[in-house]
Amino acid sequence: MRPTDFFRTLIAFIILVLLHYTLRPLLGWRAAPDFLVIATLLVAIRVRPGVAALIGLCVGLVADSVDVHVFGAGALAMCAIGFTASWLKAVFFADDVLLNALFFFLGKWAFDVIFVLAGHRGDVGQVAIQLFVWSPLTAAVTALFGLVTLLILRPVLRASPS
Amino acid sequence: MPPAARAFSRRDTVLFVSCIVVAFAAIQLPERVRDPFASTLRRSVLAPLVALQSNAEQSRRSWLTREQREAQRDSIALRAMALDATLADNNRLRKILGLGESLKWGFVPAEVLQGRGVGEEYTVTLSAGSRAGIVPFSPVVAPEGLVGMVKSVDPTMSIAIAWAHPDFRVSAMSVDSGAFGIVGAHLGNEPERYLLEMRGVTMRSNLKPGALIVSSGLGGTFPRGIPVGTVIAEMKTSELWARTYLLRPAVAPSDVSDVMVLLPARAKAGVQQIWKSGPYADSAVKAIAAAGDSLSRLQARKDSLAAPRDTSVRRDSVRAVTPPLVAPSPQHEAKPARTPSTTPAVPAPTTTTP
Repeated sequence: MRPTDFFRTLIAFIILVLLHYTLRPLLGWRAAPDFLVIATLLVAIRVRPGVAALIGLCVGLVADSVDVHVFGAGALAMCAIGFTASWLKAVFFADDVLLNALFFFLGKWAFDVIFVLAGHRGDVGQVAIQLFVWSPLTAAVTALFGLVTLLILRPVLRASPS
Repeated sequence: MPPAARAFSRRDTVLFVSCIVVAFAAIQLPERVRDPFASTLRRSVLAPLVALQSNAEQSRRSWLTREQREAQRDSIALRAMALDATLADNNRLRKILGLGESLKWGFVPAEVLQGRGVGEEYTVTLSAGSRAGIVPFSPVVAPEGLVGMVKSVDPTMSIAIAWAHPDFRVSAMSVDSGAFGIVGAHLGNEPERYLLEMRGVTMRSNLKPGALIVSSGLGGTFPRGIPVGTVIAEMKTSELWARTYLLRPAVAPSDVSDVMVLLPARAKAGVQQIWKSGPYADSAVKAIAAAGDSLSRLQARKDSLAAPRDTSVRRDSVRAVTPPLVAPSPQHEAKPARTPSTTPAVPAPTTTTP
């Protein structure tokens, strides 16, 4: 990655992290968009899978430090989706809106699945409701916001001509 | 796959596996290691982000509660407005009660039933009529002084003309009886229309601004000693043999909501002791209000004695220390129809500590 692209990606990443801690609480929705997942996915497709996994691990650990009872679960989930997203970047992130939306949707849902299972939260019923009701909803909202973010940040995220 | 690319891929895999191992290790960390580590992260990297989140949540709460706060603010403002009206009404009723206590007999309390309509700006309708003993030409008074005169009477209501009516006349004099004249409405333009004129004052009588003018009792309609107004200034007129003075009425038109109608026998007996004139006029009004307060207190005691929650022993003990209530005189012809204890707009008399 060239320095220009690196700084552009960094700016987009910071904006998304800030949105996660400002817009998300302002909305206050039960199914709120996860801007950290969007940020990790956006960065992951621009770096090597190993680096993507490392970034996911760091983001996850920082996010988990708020809730120490599931400390590490978010890191594991972020690490996994970052690595996978970077591995699959040739498939996704063509200039297709639906594919991008599907990418965000699957990324968020996968994150929730790993996070809930690794965190051992609640009984089976609660986990099922979380994974098959709230997680898809949250993933859909995240996909929507991810698309909007892509459209808004397109000038920043566009790769500089070689 | 070229060897370089394979090496890259192997490095990625190793890095990924390492990250997974670290994540699992983080999950399995004992509390004594995990908590300080998480705390360090919260205090360093996450601190500004948590502050941002806190501000955002506060903003959201403010946004959500703004309508509730507006509603509360409106309710408080509404209550405050109502409180002013209640206090004014309470004050007015206390004065009326005090006036009734001072008059003792020969009066009928009445409410002014309607505001001034078109063409009847200076006429008021009273809530008492001939059944209460009111007859035409009965004086209508308020705690501050003269309001007007009953013009026509029905069984349950009566019509009175206020001092601002063009036909209203009252024989008046200065407090020291040094100047006599006829007081009528000042037929000037607004806002002077709501002033009075004292005409026919002899040239040798010179009234100073601020001098109190009371009814003289001449003519038989109005008893002597009811405050009519205070001198503002002498008016320039074409009359060479008499002076004319401009008066500020004792009773403001906006204050006329509850009045007393003096019955003929009471008017004939005189009311000179009710409104003490001269420098004591203000204190007289205060005394009237104080009498209203004491009446309220007596009524409160009476109510508390009659309350069912009191035991008979307690009632007896209270009776033993309470002075007897003022017994109604046989000459009483009426009692106030509206007292603070029965009016919700008036604070409960029980709150007045004796």
